[in-house]
Amino acid sequence: MWTRKAIIYVGLGVILVLFAPFINNLQLFLLGTTMLAFVAVHSLVNTRPIDVKITRSFNDDQVFENSSVSIDFVVQNKGRSVGFLEIYDNLPSEVEVRSGLNHSVIRLRQNETVVNQYLLDCRLRGQFRLGNPRLRIYNPSFLFYYESEIESKSSLVVLPQIEEIEGVDFSTDFPKMYQGAMPIRRIGTSGEFYGIREYFPGDDFKNINWRVFGRTRKLMVNQFEREDISDIMLVLDAREITGTGTILRNPLNYSCKAAASLVNFFLRTRNRVGLITYGDSVNVISPDTGERHLYKILTALAEIKASGSLGLHTVLGDLRNFTPRSPVMVISTLENDKTSATALREITARGFKLTVIAPDTLDYDRDSRIISPTVYFTASASLDNKITEARSLGARAMRWNPDSVLSTSLAEVIR
Amino acid sequence: MQTSNTLALMQSVATLALMLSLSFAYLINPLEDSIFFSVLSSFSKSLYNSNVINELNTSVIAGIITGLFLGTTNILLSSSKKIYNYVLISLILLFTFIFIGYVFSVEGIPYEPLQQFFFWVLVGLPVSTGMVGIWQNKIGNQVISAFLILSMPLGLSGNTNEQIYPILGFVFSFMLFLELSYGHTRYSRLARIMSYSKEYEDVLVWFLTTLIVTLAFTMILTSLAFLFHDLLRTLLPYSFSNSIEYNTIYGQALSVLVFFMLWAVVQILFSRGYLARQVED
Repeated sequence: MWTRKAIIYVGLGVILVLFAPFINNLQLFLLGTTMLAFVAVHSLVNTRPIDVKITRSFNDDQVFENSSVSIDFVVQNKGRSVGFLEIYDNLPSEVEVRSGLNHSVIRLRQNETVVNQYLLDCRLRGQFRLGNPRLRIYNPSFLFYYESEIESKSSLVVLPQIEEIEGVDFSTDFPKMYQGAMPIRRIGTSGEFYGIREYFPGDDFKNINWRVFGRTRKLMVNQFEREDISDIMLVLDAREITGTGTILRNPLNYSCKAAASLVNFFLRTRNRVGLITYGDSVNVISPDTGERHLYKILTALAEIKASGSLGLHTVLGDLRNFTPRSPVMVISTLENDKTSATALREITARGFKLTVIAPDTLDYDRDSRIISPTVYFTASASLDNKITEARSLGARAMRWNPDSVLSTSLAEVIR
Repeated sequence: MQTSNTLALMQSVATLALMLSLSFAYLINPLEDSIFFSVLSSFSKSLYNSNVINELNTSVIAGIITGLFLGTTNILLSSSKKIYNYVLISLILLFTFIFIGYVFSVEGIPYEPLQQFFFWVLVGLPVSTGMVGIWQNKIGNQVISAFLILSMPLGLSGNTNEQIYPILGFVFSFMLFLELSYGHTRYSRLARIMSYSKEYEDVLVWFLTTLIVTLAFTMILTSLAFLFHDLLRTLLPYSFSNSIEYNTIYGQALSVLVFFMLWAVVQILFSRGYLARQVED
């Protein structure tokens, strides 16, 4: 392609060559000739086809939300030497370059390999596609250029951020005994000592630690580890309404973060965890255990997008096959879902130990003027009603402010 | 060498080329023959009823040095917007007072040295404008400067093959000025994006090396295009090659255009699609 400069040079060159004879001016004539010659010579410099191969490699296979990933952008020259090669790596808008550059201008000698390293900030979960890198070859005086894309797409899966959860007991009263049960460092009723806590009325007298009482004059009771496992089902709301807010701060993102943290916690404690998501369709990952299952769920969470408007009742069919009386955790704002009350009632009626976590971004939305104070008031009151309704059904329900630590909020609702 | 040093070298050489090209331009077309200065002289003569310009020193070197001084001052002052504005206001006030003084016939004002200074400022105007273009990356100023270099010394008497060496010197320095000043603007912008990396330094060195080589080849090709006229003479029919039209600069112009037309045809035939061919994966 010709640049504007080349067109001006050729135009001016021709004008000078044709005009100079009228004033008998050899100086302008030669200048015009030189301009034409300059363009002619430059049409041969750095304009031949090149043979370049580009690959990307990531320093880590698993990238979590709010973490960084280092990318090695390898440019391999298999053809002629290139003097001016401008490379622009096509990144999705959801990631940011923290250090280094995804845009570079290099000189590439024959058979030379150049590695351009840069660090990406992944602030949002999701599956992203790093598009084809774009190349631009200029000749040295910017007279000609050529632009092209090189086929080198890569996929980057940013898993939801995992928050460490400690000391929260969601287990059922009807645990599945594990063959060759093993201590899992949770409070229970086995013989293994876990710790001591203050005495509360109703505690068994036989658990009072008399030695501590003798020393401190305070009634303290012993706690023991519990040896059981459960099947736990997480139900995640991915309706279109959960995407309301900013790209980073919306209920769906926080729901995914909560789900990822809970899945990680439950699997670490040897439970079996499943996931049901509903929005435009209902997707089920059956309960299972192990590291591979964790990444299966995390990948599913990374790929979830807010869409559709299916109600909570649509998951009831899938819950029918779930282990009876096991814990079911619904992570949803329950907003604009007329079926939620019936569905929650149905879940509790089947004997599942229900916990409802409602990620609450209303305060942030109001402060950022995404919603008006009136809408805030209405939505907040509606959410409170839903929570109260769930509690009246015997569920453990909470409004979770995503700025607070999840395990602390959970501990409050479980107590 | 660091990228910033290479860029500074480009600016320095561009400034030198700018001054050289103006010197060569006035060497080829003497200032007295210039249409621009003839018009200026006629204007001042009608205004003052005396030949003011002819009484002044018409040294081109002094004009270039004045241009260099003004260009440098402008660039230095531009580093602080506040100081630049103060100086500009002071100058406007000074000229206003001089004008008022002239209207009221104040004798204390040294009119002659001022006229001499203004004349040199005018001669050195392409240099001062071009310097701002080079050192402050203003393409507009570079274009204006190039236009002034070409137009200001232009005379009606024309020039011939006898002045071929100054003409070649002019062409070389003028092209060097254009290429280095424009190249600096583009490459310095990229250097900022590239954070003056070492890899980028390689690109700059490649640009400078290629520029020198291509300029040398350009001069060779210009000579070939110029000599093509003689070759064409042997190929064309006698009646045409010996015509008056063919043996003037008009004939030469046509030969040059034919040469480059042939060049374009050959390039299309032998390197078809060079620029349009798909870059391979």
